[in-house]
Amino acid sequence: MATEILLPKLGLTMQEGTIEEWVATPGATIRPGDVLLRVGTDKVDVDVEAEAEGVFQPVVDAGVTLEPGTLIGWLLGDGEQIPGASGPEPRRFVSPNARRVASTLGVDVAAVRGTGPNGRVVSEDVEEFAAAERPAGPPVDVNRAGPLVRRYAKEHGVDLADVTGTGPGGRVRRADVEQVAAAPGTVLPLTGMRGTIAERMHASLREMAQLTHGYEVGMDAVVDLRERLKAEWAGTDLPVPSLNDFVVRAAALALTEHPLLNATIRDGAVHLLPDVHMGLAVAVPDGLLVPVIRDAATRSLTGLTAVTRELAGAARNGTLKLHQLEGATFVVTSLGSYGVDMFTPIVYPGNVAILGVGRLRDGVRWEGETPRRTRVLTLSLSFDHRGVDGAPAAEYLRSVDRLLQQPLRLLAN
Amino acid sequence: MTTVIGEQVEVEVLRDLHERMVRIRLFETEAGRLMEAGRLPGFLHLYVGQEAVAAGVMSTLADTDQITSTHRGHGHAVAKGANLREMYAELFGKVTGYCHGHGGSMHINDLSIGMLGANGIVGAGIPIAVGAAFASAYRDDGGVAVAFFGDGASNIGTFHEAANLAAVLRLPVVLVCENNGYAEFTAQANHMLLADVADRAAAYGMPGEVVDGMDVVAVHLAAKRAVTRAREGGGPTLVEAKTYRYYDHQGVKGLRIQYRTQEEIDAWKARDPIDAAEARMIERGDSSRAELDAVWQRVREEIAEAIAFAEASSDPDPNTDLLRDVYTGTNA
Amino acid sequence: MTATLSTETRELTYVKAFNEGLAQVMRSDEDVFLAGEDVAGYGGVFHMFDGLLGEFGSRRVVDTPISEAALVGMGVGAAARGLRPVVDLMFMDFLAVCLDQVVNQAAKMKYMFGGAVSVPLTITTASGAGLGAAAQHSQSLEAWLAHVPGLKVCMPATAYDAKGLIVAAVRDDNPVVVMLNKVLLGARDVVPAEIYEVPLGAARVVRQGEDVTIVALGRMVTEAVRAAEELAGAGVRAEVIDLRTVQPLDMTTVLDSVRRTNRVLVVHEAVTFGGIGAEIAAQVQDEAFDYLDAPVLRIGAPFAPVPFSPVLERAYVPDAARIVAGCRRLLERG
Repeated sequence: MATEILLPKLGLTMQEGTIEEWVATPGATIRPGDVLLRVGTDKVDVDVEAEAEGVFQPVVDAGVTLEPGTLIGWLLGDGEQIPGASGPEPRRFVSPNARRVASTLGVDVAAVRGTGPNGRVVSEDVEEFAAAERPAGPPVDVNRAGPLVRRYAKEHGVDLADVTGTGPGGRVRRADVEQVAAAPGTVLPLTGMRGTIAERMHASLREMAQLTHGYEVGMDAVVDLRERLKAEWAGTDLPVPSLNDFVVRAAALALTEHPLLNATIRDGAVHLLPDVHMGLAVAVPDGLLVPVIRDAATRSLTGLTAVTRELAGAARNGTLKLHQLEGATFVVTSLGSYGVDMFTPIVYPGNVAILGVGRLRDGVRWEGETPRRTRVLTLSLSFDHRGVDGAPAAEYLRSVDRLLQQPLRLLAN
Repeated sequence: MTTVIGEQVEVEVLRDLHERMVRIRLFETEAGRLMEAGRLPGFLHLYVGQEAVAAGVMSTLADTDQITSTHRGHGHAVAKGANLREMYAELFGKVTGYCHGHGGSMHINDLSIGMLGANGIVGAGIPIAVGAAFASAYRDDGGVAVAFFGDGASNIGTFHEAANLAAVLRLPVVLVCENNGYAEFTAQANHMLLADVADRAAAYGMPGEVVDGMDVVAVHLAAKRAVTRAREGGGPTLVEAKTYRYYDHQGVKGLRIQYRTQEEIDAWKARDPIDAAEARMIERGDSSRAELDAVWQRVREEIAEAIAFAEASSDPDPNTDLLRDVYTGTNA
Repeated sequence: MTATLSTETRELTYVKAFNEGLAQVMRSDEDVFLAGEDVAGYGGVFHMFDGLLGEFGSRRVVDTPISEAALVGMGVGAAARGLRPVVDLMFMDFLAVCLDQVVNQAAKMKYMFGGAVSVPLTITTASGAGLGAAAQHSQSLEAWLAHVPGLKVCMPATAYDAKGLIVAAVRDDNPVVVMLNKVLLGARDVVPAEIYEVPLGAARVVRQGEDVTIVALGRMVTEAVRAAEELAGAGVRAEVIDLRTVQPLDMTTVLDSVRRTNRVLVVHEAVTFGGIGAEIAAQVQDEAFDYLDAPVLRIGAPFAPVPFSPVLERAYVPDAARIVAGCRRLLERG
């Protein structure tokens, strides 16, 4: 029996995925668990495994970007035909002008949805596609360089604006790009994870009205409790929570009190999300990953600590699965170990807030006229003013602060 | 029918008429020879046999008088004084030809001598001659226009429209019908019920005159009357010259369709206009045989030289000549 | 030469503007004369020639018999002899009875004669449907004429052009057919008082737009502008081009526009099949294929003679509504 292969929806916020590669060979017999394809999302590339067996037959080309749930292939029984495929594939109509514009903008028309008569792709479709794909950068001067030269420049991280064209009418030739590419100075192209980060971060700032509250919280109680746990749990396999784990736990609990910050804004409305899935920003050698602790608000501190350690390890080893990277409803990011106190984290696309954790440092508390040494850190809460005003954001921070002052509450389930 | 040989013209006029006819005869026989030999592109409608009509009419016209001709137009051009080199060159399709290779046999023209062009469309030249006459009347320059056409063309609308228009506007035009008895391959009896095309003049209120088209002097005198009448403001005249073409409609032997008897052809050839003129000139003592032979020889040499010039000339260049002269100025 | 030199402008009807232009060019050049059926005593059946006999006399304004072939042929002969004849065919349909003189004589004479002659002949005629004149008095035959090398063909759409184009046509050294439109005869426009020419072969951008190009001929220019106004209400910016002449055909203006709008519609009164629209469509795909977002759309009359019944005639002749619908089809997006 023919089994459909659909593009998997990898987490709540996935809106589209790109088929980076068909791993399986068309016509090959596949067993459950065999890797069929590699899907790229805005976060990571993931191998997708077969859930059934059959003869593999893709129906879309590698490189296309599609919505989750789109039919991308079949696992067929012996001698079975693709259901409904009675004739040749319907022809895809692309207007000449759309082809021309796609060529000059470097857009693959196969990825563009046609809105003209009979689904014809018209130039506006290509332009809109290109605008959505590449929000950043000045408009491309389509006359300045041909598509091949443009692609070459992109591959070599050369900005055409920096290139002096020596061709007719100042057109940029490949040799011009080569000259700039060979010039001294290291070029780090915005591709792969770097490109994704660049795109996502810029998209976030473009879409949202972001601002950041800095809030100093007292950490004496947490530090004291942590010292006690270290002493008492030594020799057991109980994981002693880190300072960050305490903050994550407090942040998650506080979200249950302030659901406005555990939300997503789309279609002109703030949608409060029922569960708290806490993303943890983890620096990795070539960038940043955000593994997700699912249902973080319902986990004990120790449970949360164990998951955190597992995720951070997997992130650094590059063994994170896609499901571990999808669906964060709120993110905590820490730069404390780098000596940063206050910063302005950028809200992840699809979230309304992100909490930055600063360096644990000495503070002063005045008891009457007597200064007392105390332990503090600064929380930096960036939030989307479209959905959240300054006061509720501050209320949330106060809740986090309160929880951190009462760490036994955090220890409890 | 008016038939007069030699009596009423000066010796110089007769010699002039004779030479015009000889030029036409030799031009056409050589052109026919070249065509039959496959040395000319396209096809020709030859004038041999009808020389007296062209020579007789043209001898009454000045260069400032205009004629429009027909598909069988070489004789008119030669008699009007066209340059034989440029004529042959055009028959060869050479760039030195009258039309630079754009026209060929049916579009030879020379505005400097009043030759407003042969024409590939039967009857089409008649209203054009009326227009030339209109221009002369408009400018009051004393010019006359002559339209040549055949018996076949007298059945086409333009003949009737143009004759009527010329008559109504009283224009200085002479309509010369060369009745050679056939509209292509159709005998006159089968294409009209009148014996004389000249009778059609009455329908338009103009004089019509029939003249022996094998008698060059008769044609000359009839044409002179009509031209004078036109020039003096008397309006158009229809002159019908009864004549005969020795060759086929097209080429020399043409398609070898049997539509004329050998007896008929021989009978007309026995009245050959050049022979008749020469006999009268000798009889009157105007010219000796030797003098007449000298005319033939001189014209033969001129024609041989003209053919040599034409053959040695360059073809037009498709790169520069194909698209020139479609418009005066540019079409953009 | 151009309106900018004008010292006096006022509104004139299309037919009066034409009449004024012809009178002025006759005044300026003694070689210009007018001939045709009922052009002198009657002043033309559409009053195109009113007053000319009185001013110029019967030498220069000549009534002729109903003999179109002889009339045009006389024009050819007089033109070849250096005059600048204006001959009137009254109804364009009558072109068919003198086509040889237009096509085989006037148009080809210069080329056939090796350039030895020019034929500065102007043929005026009234074209177009809309007056209940039926199949033999309503045609628009510009495509016939534009197909013949050697001819020029203009189709004034405004009073301004009716004057400027007749002056340019008479002064042109080639045979030019000026197709007046019967329905437009009373249309008013601002017209300079002094003599001027509208150059042959220069289309006019009547209205600028970015979304779709409407190329219109003759009376359809008015309908195209109406359509553009209606489309503007729906946020569609249509560019309207009045071709003014179909030979020469100003494709530069059309192509410039198409390369900006990427969509083009051609509208004419003549039947669509084999019309100027087909030529424009072919040239657009030749020269600007890669700029098209939609096939070139042609709007013209259906393949039938012009009908008599007002109901049928209205259905036959294209109008603004059909142009609007055509533009919407070109711009359709799901």
